[in-house]
Amino acid sequence: MQTSATGPAVHHPPRGERLDLTWLKPIGMIGLSVSNFIYRILTLGIYDFWARTEVRKRLWSAIRLNGEPLAYTGTGKELFLGFLIVFGVVLLPILIVSVAAILIFGPNSLTANLIQAAIYIAVFMLVGVAIYRAQRYRLLRTNWRGIRGNLQGSSTPYAMTYFLTLFLIPLTLGWIVPWRATKLQSMITNNVRFGSMPFAFRGNSGLLYGPYAVLWFGILVLFIVASAISGMVIGSIQGDLGPGLEPPDDVKQLYGLTILGVFALAYLFYLFMSAWYRARTINHFAQCTHFDSASFNGTATGIGLLWIDITNLAILIAGSLVVVALLSAIAALIFMIVPALVPATAMSPAEIQAYAAAMAAPVLVFIGALSFTLLLPVTQARSMGYLIDHLALEGSVDVNKIAQSTADPMATGEGLAQAFDIDAF
Amino acid sequence: MHSDLFHQRFEARYTDGRTAGSRDVMVELTERGILIPQDGSAAPLIWPFGALATAEPLTDHAIDALVTYSYQPGATLFVPGPRFARALATLAPQLTASAERWRAASPWLWGAAATVAIGVFVWLAGLSPAHTIANMLPDKARTAMGRQVVKSMTDGRAVCRDDAGLKALEKLTGRLVAATHDGKAFNVVVIDWGLVNAFATPGENVVLTSGLLDAANGPDEVAGVLAHEMGHGLELHPETGLVRAMGLAAATELLMGGSGTLSNLGIVLLQLSYSRDAEGEADDHAIAILRDARISSKGFARFFERMSKTDGSAKRLGKGGLGGMLSSHPDTDERLAKVLRSGGYAATPALSEREWAALKSICRTSLPSAKAGHSE
Repeated sequence: MQTSATGPAVHHPPRGERLDLTWLKPIGMIGLSVSNFIYRILTLGIYDFWARTEVRKRLWSAIRLNGEPLAYTGTGKELFLGFLIVFGVVLLPILIVSVAAILIFGPNSLTANLIQAAIYIAVFMLVGVAIYRAQRYRLLRTNWRGIRGNLQGSSTPYAMTYFLTLFLIPLTLGWIVPWRATKLQSMITNNVRFGSMPFAFRGNSGLLYGPYAVLWFGILVLFIVASAISGMVIGSIQGDLGPGLEPPDDVKQLYGLTILGVFALAYLFYLFMSAWYRARTINHFAQCTHFDSASFNGTATGIGLLWIDITNLAILIAGSLVVVALLSAIAALIFMIVPALVPATAMSPAEIQAYAAAMAAPVLVFIGALSFTLLLPVTQARSMGYLIDHLALEGSVDVNKIAQSTADPMATGEGLAQAFDIDAF
Repeated sequence: MHSDLFHQRFEARYTDGRTAGSRDVMVELTERGILIPQDGSAAPLIWPFGALATAEPLTDHAIDALVTYSYQPGATLFVPGPRFARALATLAPQLTASAERWRAASPWLWGAAATVAIGVFVWLAGLSPAHTIANMLPDKARTAMGRQVVKSMTDGRAVCRDDAGLKALEKLTGRLVAATHDGKAFNVVVIDWGLVNAFATPGENVVLTSGLLDAANGPDEVAGVLAHEMGHGLELHPETGLVRAMGLAAATELLMGGSGTLSNLGIVLLQLSYSRDAEGEADDHAIAILRDARISSKGFARFFERMSKTDGSAKRLGKGGLGGMLSSHPDTDERLAKVLRSGGYAATPALSEREWAALKSICRTSLPSAKAGHSE
């Protein structure tokens, strides 16, 4: 994994070299999670932008090409400024306009509803812009051997495609999904540059339609089977009892649980199928992505992705439970200590406790709400690690041909994407 | 200082940032910085420790370091192995994770501490930012808010407007308004609603329910309730409550996304209950208004006492408005005593027998709710 610099200095390497893509599991992610969590609480949440940045630096560094790390050069300040700009230019005007519409035209009036609808449409149009610009920011802040990535072109065609095809999903009963995903992916990939060298997306959505049909009909069959089993369960009780009679409560409960179990199982199957389709999509997109004389090869599996998702969820819940347990202990301590600190003449002990509870409650709720994100960096590292471990770069790349990007590095971060919460890492 | 760290040599890989090509070099830590030899006879590069950056902050777990130098953008130096990273953490302590975190967080920590301190100060000093904002609202905005609130409160309920009843209500309102010495014209609306309640709404509006008129034993009792609600109005309590609720709703909307929380102001006001201090202020106004209008405060006290002691009255009163006034405060007796103490002046009945009868049957004629905001 680790390529140490041994052997003679290479002055004239062969025309192309194989680039070995590996994941070097980052150490100390739990410590980073805890430190970020504490700083976020103490700064009332503002540190989040810097916390996110440090996580990215660690994750990017864990991705190695020939043993040399990718570098994330973005800063917390850029993310923060990006957020402020989006807040001022997008979120605040939206809020002001919708509140003003309600105050002027009255709640539930036609005009107010029309204005609200227009705002929703505008927001959906901005989602595509946000995705594209976030990708650009991240690529511009990604270096390997000092060479920057970039995403060229305007975000408008992407945003329009994203927006228009979104409405076609229900109209086509979902059958546009593989085409749409491929189209959007190719629009991004074809504009990605590493330094002076372009990436290319070669391929179409044809190969995805087989797996998608399996998913589509699988969900249909799953739904029919689960409903049929539930129907049979209900039918069998009612058949034993004869028409018009209520079964006893314990029998009802048992059958209720059975039906719940059937649907839970169906949901698990659904999760597996969608993970399987997701894996096929990732591998297909990898295969379509070419760089110089190399292309990617994906080996992700549905079961692998599902395992990562489920264990990640368990990790987040565990982190939240730890925080909640700590909070409960602190709250109990406050309850015990406070009456002893305040002179008894001022208030009765019960009043003091009620007071302390009222003061501490918002703080505890704030921390409790954040608790789910405590171990987020750990789960992000696991997700990214799985993807990189199942991705290889095959073929050769002439690295000496790759010159530095002349693109203007975007000054501020991906606020828009963050505002819409479409941020993966 | 760290002489033991100097003159160690490390295998590294150097790129100049012009292409993605790289070459192997042996770098050396010196007092002046990292020394990077160059090809052939070119002088070696020296990267001073103060102008360095690393791709990830240095930690104890570091197994390698990717170093850049701010005066040579694009150039990178990758040094595998933990030894170099440890040495660099000692020689350039600003690159360690703890130093970088502290640098980023410390201004915000001070900011957060100041915010909390200001919050505590505002709370301890009894300042109310919402009240300040309510005070700054132009009358037009308050009137618009009031119309909106009355409209949503009377939604689906009829507005009572029997002619004789309206005349009686006008007379009672006029008598109380003249005693406020404030010059503000209050608009009082009766709605056909069985609930026993009264609400002050923004823009000097008061909403009375027919249930309250039914439950009152005489015009003095209604006069007391009206004077109390006018007191809330004079102190801008409804405006303050709405500003606070809107601030919270706006904050919630920003944090959670989605909208619609603000669309039902009336419901918000129905849920509001005023603080103990606010109720006290409204009582003081009520006492003063009743005294100057030469209406006995005994009626107010009687109604107050009856409502707070009747079984199930809290349920009949609902949550906001009068219900809040009676249910949320432990010191009802104290307040009652204050109202009783205020008596002892010459008083005449708030309305004549005939006018009172007319007011009680004001809901004989009613209008659909849509025009509530404009009714006099």
